[in-house]
Amino acid sequence: MPFKKQKQHQQKHSGPKAEKKKLKKQNGSTEEDERKRNPKAFAVQSAVRMAKTFHRAQDIKTKKHHVPVVDRTPLEPPPIVIVVVGPPKVGKSTLIRCLIKNFTRQKLTDICGPVTIVSGKKRRLTFMECNNDINSMIDLAKVADLVLMLIDASFGFEMETFEFLNICQVHGFPRIMGVLTHLDAFKNNKTLRKTKKNLKHRFWTEVYQGAKLFYLSGMVYGEYQNQEVKNLGRFISVMKFRPLVWQTSHPYILADRIEDLTDPERLRTDPKCDRTVSLYGYLRGTHLKNKGQVHIPGVGDFQMSDVNFLPDPCPLPGTQKKRALNEKERLLYAPMAGVGGVVYDKDAVYIDLPANHVKQLQEVRPTTELVQSLIETHVTLDAKMAASKVSLFSGSAGLDPTDISEVQEGLREIHVWDAHTQTQRRKVVFTGLEEEEDDVSGSSSDEDDDGSDQENQEEEDDLSTFLKEVRDKSEKATKGSTPPVKKRKLEEMQGEEEVIAEAPAFADSEDELERGEADSEGEGEAERAGDSGHCSKESEEDSDDEEDGDEDDESMEEEIGADDSDEEEEQGKYHSGTFKWKEGLQQKASAAFLRHQEAAPNLRKLVYGSVVEAEDSEEEEEELGGLFRVNRPQKSKKVQADALDCSHFNPDISHNWELEEMLNSIRDCFVTGQWEEGQDAATLLKEDGKSSGGGAFCSLYSELKSESDEDETDDEDQQVKMDDEEVQKNKRLEKKRRLKERFDTEYDDGDATYFDDLKEEMQKQAELNRAEFEDMDDESRVQYEGFRPGMYVRLEISSLPCEFVTNFDPHYPVIIGGLGTSEGNVGYLQMRLKKHRWYERILKTRDPLILSLGWRRFQTIPLYHIEDHNGRHRLLKYTPQHMHCGASIWGPITPQGTGFLAVQSVSGVKANFRIAATGVVLDLDKSVTIVKKLKLIGYPYKIFQNTCFIKGMFNTVLEVAKFEGASIRTVSGVRGQIKKALSTPPGAFRATFEDRLLMSDIVFLRSWYPVSIPQLYNPVTSLLLPVGQKDSWSGMRTVGQLKHDLGVRNKPSIDSLYKPITRAPRHFNPLHIPKELQKALPFKSKPKLLQPKGKVPRDLKRASVIREPHERKVAELLRALSTVHHYKKKVAQRAHHAKHKEFLQQKEKDEEAKMKRMKDARKKLYRIMGQKDQKKQRSSLKGTPQDD
Amino acid sequence: MASHGLTYEGCNFLRQRLVLSALSGKRVKIKNIRSKDDEPGLRGTVLVYQPGLLYGGTVEHDCNPQRSIGYYLEALLMLGPFMKSPLKATLRGVTNDLTDPTVDLLKSTALPVMKKFGIDGEGFDIKVVKRGMAPGGGGEVVFTCPVRKTVRPVQLTDPGKIKRIRGVAYSVRVSPQMGNRIVESARGILNQFLPDIYIYTDHMKGANSGKSPGFGLTLVAETLNGYFLSAEMLSTPQGQGDPILPEDLGRNCAKLLLEEIYRGGCVDSSNQSLALLLMTLGQQDVSKVLLGPLSPYTIEFLRHIRDFFQIMFKIEVQKPLEDERKGGDKVLMTCVGVGYSNISKTLK
Repeated sequence: MPFKKQKQHQQKHSGPKAEKKKLKKQNGSTEEDERKRNPKAFAVQSAVRMAKTFHRAQDIKTKKHHVPVVDRTPLEPPPIVIVVVGPPKVGKSTLIRCLIKNFTRQKLTDICGPVTIVSGKKRRLTFMECNNDINSMIDLAKVADLVLMLIDASFGFEMETFEFLNICQVHGFPRIMGVLTHLDAFKNNKTLRKTKKNLKHRFWTEVYQGAKLFYLSGMVYGEYQNQEVKNLGRFISVMKFRPLVWQTSHPYILADRIEDLTDPERLRTDPKCDRTVSLYGYLRGTHLKNKGQVHIPGVGDFQMSDVNFLPDPCPLPGTQKKRALNEKERLLYAPMAGVGGVVYDKDAVYIDLPANHVKQLQEVRPTTELVQSLIETHVTLDAKMAASKVSLFSGSAGLDPTDISEVQEGLREIHVWDAHTQTQRRKVVFTGLEEEEDDVSGSSSDEDDDGSDQENQEEEDDLSTFLKEVRDKSEKATKGSTPPVKKRKLEEMQGEEEVIAEAPAFADSEDELERGEADSEGEGEAERAGDSGHCSKESEEDSDDEEDGDEDDESMEEEIGADDSDEEEEQGKYHSGTFKWKEGLQQKASAAFLRHQEAAPNLRKLVYGSVVEAEDSEEEEEELGGLFRVNRPQKSKKVQADALDCSHFNPDISHNWELEEMLNSIRDCFVTGQWEEGQDAATLLKEDGKSSGGGAFCSLYSELKSESDEDETDDEDQQVKMDDEEVQKNKRLEKKRRLKERFDTEYDDGDATYFDDLKEEMQKQAELNRAEFEDMDDESRVQYEGFRPGMYVRLEISSLPCEFVTNFDPHYPVIIGGLGTSEGNVGYLQMRLKKHRWYERILKTRDPLILSLGWRRFQTIPLYHIEDHNGRHRLLKYTPQHMHCGASIWGPITPQGTGFLAVQSVSGVKANFRIAATGVVLDLDKSVTIVKKLKLIGYPYKIFQNTCFIKGMFNTVLEVAKFEGASIRTVSGVRGQIKKALSTPPGAFRATFEDRLLMSDIVFLRSWYPVSIPQLYNPVTSLLLPVGQKDSWSGMRTVGQLKHDLGVRNKPSIDSLYKPITRAPRHFNPLHIPKELQKALPFKSKPKLLQPKGKVPRDLKRASVIREPHERKVAELLRALSTVHHYKKKVAQRAHHAKHKEFLQQKEKDEEAKMKRMKDARKKLYRIMGQKDQKKQRSSLKGTPQDD
Repeated sequence: MASHGLTYEGCNFLRQRLVLSALSGKRVKIKNIRSKDDEPGLRGTVLVYQPGLLYGGTVEHDCNPQRSIGYYLEALLMLGPFMKSPLKATLRGVTNDLTDPTVDLLKSTALPVMKKFGIDGEGFDIKVVKRGMAPGGGGEVVFTCPVRKTVRPVQLTDPGKIKRIRGVAYSVRVSPQMGNRIVESARGILNQFLPDIYIYTDHMKGANSGKSPGFGLTLVAETLNGYFLSAEMLSTPQGQGDPILPEDLGRNCAKLLLEEIYRGGCVDSSNQSLALLLMTLGQQDVSKVLLGPLSPYTIEFLRHIRDFFQIMFKIEVQKPLEDERKGGDKVLMTCVGVGYSNISKTLK
């Protein structure tokens, strides 16, 4: 049908209408205007309605508020985790590939593991593909920031989509964006539109109204259309995220690189040994503390043996002012997929470098070398020290200098930076002494970023001197040894050498520490010098004492040398009567503890610096004669360890509060003392006067004051005029600020609500959090805050099961979730649970269930219960159909309020919806006792009136005694009470009832029996399964499954089988009423005893009459006559009737006429009467005035 | 989970270890408890503590008269806010002795410190029902504490100037005149600084006076910003050493207060560890507190905090300026809380 084009509207440009419009436009008809022009229309019509509208407006306003939280996002946030989810064959990998190509202009063929890219100046993205395994879906839902939910439009929604949405809902809802693919399958435009609309609305009901749904229309050469991908990319890069509770309160890492560090020799001998593995990834969530506990979903709980941070492999571009990223800054990092790093196979290393990146990598090489050196240090400084000690000791064990060089042989790896391949290789080396030493020095230079040669030199010197000493000692020992003491000597030496080995190491480490501290905190040089001088003095002492060669106190010295300041503190309580030098030290130390603390160059070192040695020093023990230990109760460490536990802090004795100067030193602590410049009452007053300038007195006073001030300044500070000016300026600024503050408080506070205040407080806290450690270097910052989110960290875990490494599949996410305080423990949990409404079956108590709670997935045995109205928690056999119920489990301690979901099995793919239940943790203990009903049954064996003896309910008198006074009941409903136990038979008792019992009655006692919660906690170890079978984890089976699998069928009890119903015919006895009663009854109720009519006897029967013919004729005639008579009578009656009717009509007519007549007459009469009345009235009206 | 137990040696700092273990959920094992002594005091020299949940509720305990109630109360103050149900602990024993902070001191200083961390409310109090002096005891103290899910981060950096000094001079089973004598002498010294001094005399009689005679003084200085510094002094327990004159006691106590003021800070020396613990248990935000010099007990506590919570404090020494007359060095302690939440509390 051809469309007729409609005529377009033509705007008037001239004429009265146009004029009018112009005028209107000029004046501008705003709302304000209208209110003015027409005030009546806006007047208050109804106060109630006004109040209602106001209420409503306020409600809407407050509903928008969220509880304000402190914004803890770091300055450089970690990459955003984008999880691409969808059923298989929906185009997940293609989408990731297209997005990566869109952002980085690189093609990635195989998407394995997380892929991190730089998408903008301030944003990085990590893509992770989620496969169709429910384990992966659960894990990734917990770490996702944004979920791209791919939906095959040609097919519609699949179960996985809804499952994933429900998983997300439980574990905090990340941003979800739907992407419709396969839209090119629709040929018909109308069905396409309809499908889109249907899918959109269904998606909205699941996520939220107006959730973004993207349409990817078709494929071009196996990729999505460029423009559409670009649009999607734009959406992603401007997206904002909400903080999720679990994620913001726990640190977590999505591992993007994994390395097995286990000693190859051990691997060879024992391929199934536990592995030491290092995991790499961006830290997200919150701060991660070193040595904390972590959970790896699908593997288990582990203690981190070490954490360190590495330079960012995918850094954000610098802060230059540019609009777009250049080619070099579009980084891509995906080690598992073989980009930006290395691919680790079981026994080979592959490097995959795109051509355009080689140049760039070379530029950053110096830093990466540093990175490599950092990566190389697999152990911390402390561990290294410990290691070096051991090797030294084992070297000297042979008491021969040549033996010292004989360090245990074995495979060692050396990390070599291969400049050609741009990678780090782990070279296997057989260790000898030279290499050992090399290694030591090398590692020390690694640790020390400055790489100062001098220090190395020192260390080596130390090493050599100490080696010499060791030799000396051992020689001495061998000289003086006698056979029985040999063992003792050896042990002694052990102690000594340990100590000796420690000493330089610790001294060194402390020096370094100190220096780092001094640098970082920017303290004066003088302090450092003083400290080093102090150290040297101590070492002098050390050497002096060593010359004495006293074995006993040597160890003490070493200790002192090792932790100087700590020792001083301890020596306050340390008193030995044997050695003079010690006494001196002790006195010195005790007297100067406080001053030392004050003067300590670094209080931090005093507190934290030397705890490690303290533990080590306890190992040393002296023995005498191989049998007896020298008991030294007054050893410093021990004394402190066993001292009185008291928080009292003794005052400094040197302060004499009698002296005036001492008193003066705290004068300003009181309000009566001198105040600061800004707070002094006098100055405040003065400034007030200046600023207000109103009162004459004020101004006068201030002028006088200022004049005098000026005089003073002139006199004194002429040469420091510049300084003075600055001071003045500062003062002015300060004053301005104060004024503004006052103004603000005066005027802004009026409409500041509680919410605003709270928000401001949070804001302040966030600023403080950011500012506090900002200017520190990362090394020391990490110690205070822990590793902050956004850092690229390397975790080392020392005892991972070997299957984790051997069965590693990069397509499965490896998440390292940090655990909070006491979240590593296992205990009882109380939860509120509801069966999912889409799950088809109800859940049975004691059937094992797989829960996803916190980071974990585990199998446990829940008990379902419900609270009765009296507060009793009654065990349920099954979950209610549409209601919440309680569930108690034995599982990992997780904070209250954490959501969880339950599935019955994680293996395989089922057609049905798999999420069985959802809920929330309420409590973390057994405070709720779950009970189940228990009915004890007994039988009466002797019945008196209302009392009876009952047996069979209990077995002993004691049991009865426990239940004395309990209420019991018979099946027929007679209630009673247990009174007292009987001696025989055992367990019998006397009970009273409200009525007499029968011997056939059964008595029961209703009691409640507490149920204990089964302690099953079985983590789902899906990541340890072989590749390809990772989705086939199965744990404990339910009883039903077991029976099904084993083909066991329960023998039903005979009683509960159905039998054909046979009913015996019922016989009722006749009702017998006593004669007396019968007599008394009224006739109606009297039994009717009349016999039914029997045959009439012959004599009572009447004979039949037979007429004569004559008689018959007469009778005939009489009948005919009577018939005629009857007819005549009838006719006559009819005629009479008609006549009477006529008469009645006539009569009526007459009556009517009569009535009419009478009516007329009456009318006439009344008329006359009325006229008469009127006349009378008129005359009376006329007559009255005359009467007056 | 055996992997995260901690091992220590010796009986010292038992309370710290137990408290931190209970709060962090880490098992603690203490070995060699007075192992070299002839009378170790316990039935054994090893202690293993596996922490569970803190229940709270109404608790009664007869404390050992060797240590005062303050010893128990110090630990209880740390645990009180993290119970399942509000705590009401009745402790009986020695209320005041020389080794531990007395109940009066804790009442006047520890409670305000905790209030700064958001632990307050009507049910937060320490009440001295009966006073019992050192050797005999016979005192009774009721400590009630509400439950909190989280602790607020604090910034206690500016102590402000001292505006008033308050105190309690208590005496039991001695002449009521003792109190007045103490007050007189203490005022003599403190009046040099401040006119606003008021020291209550608290003489308890009859059933409320415990079993042993004694007297003592607790002084509290309040600053403009609401921080409390305190000092105390007691008479020597009956039959243990030379008796002390009330005048001397008052004077010495005043001097101790001056010493405490010299040390300064926002939290006095006896509550340093309490404040540091609450900072550690705060939200994952920066908390700051200004302290006087750290006591040895606090230093050990810091080490223990590091062991149990992996929290290190940033310690900055603030040296007084040349012409400032505000006492000695101050220490600014800064830390980021662990984000502790009370796992004992039931969600309704």
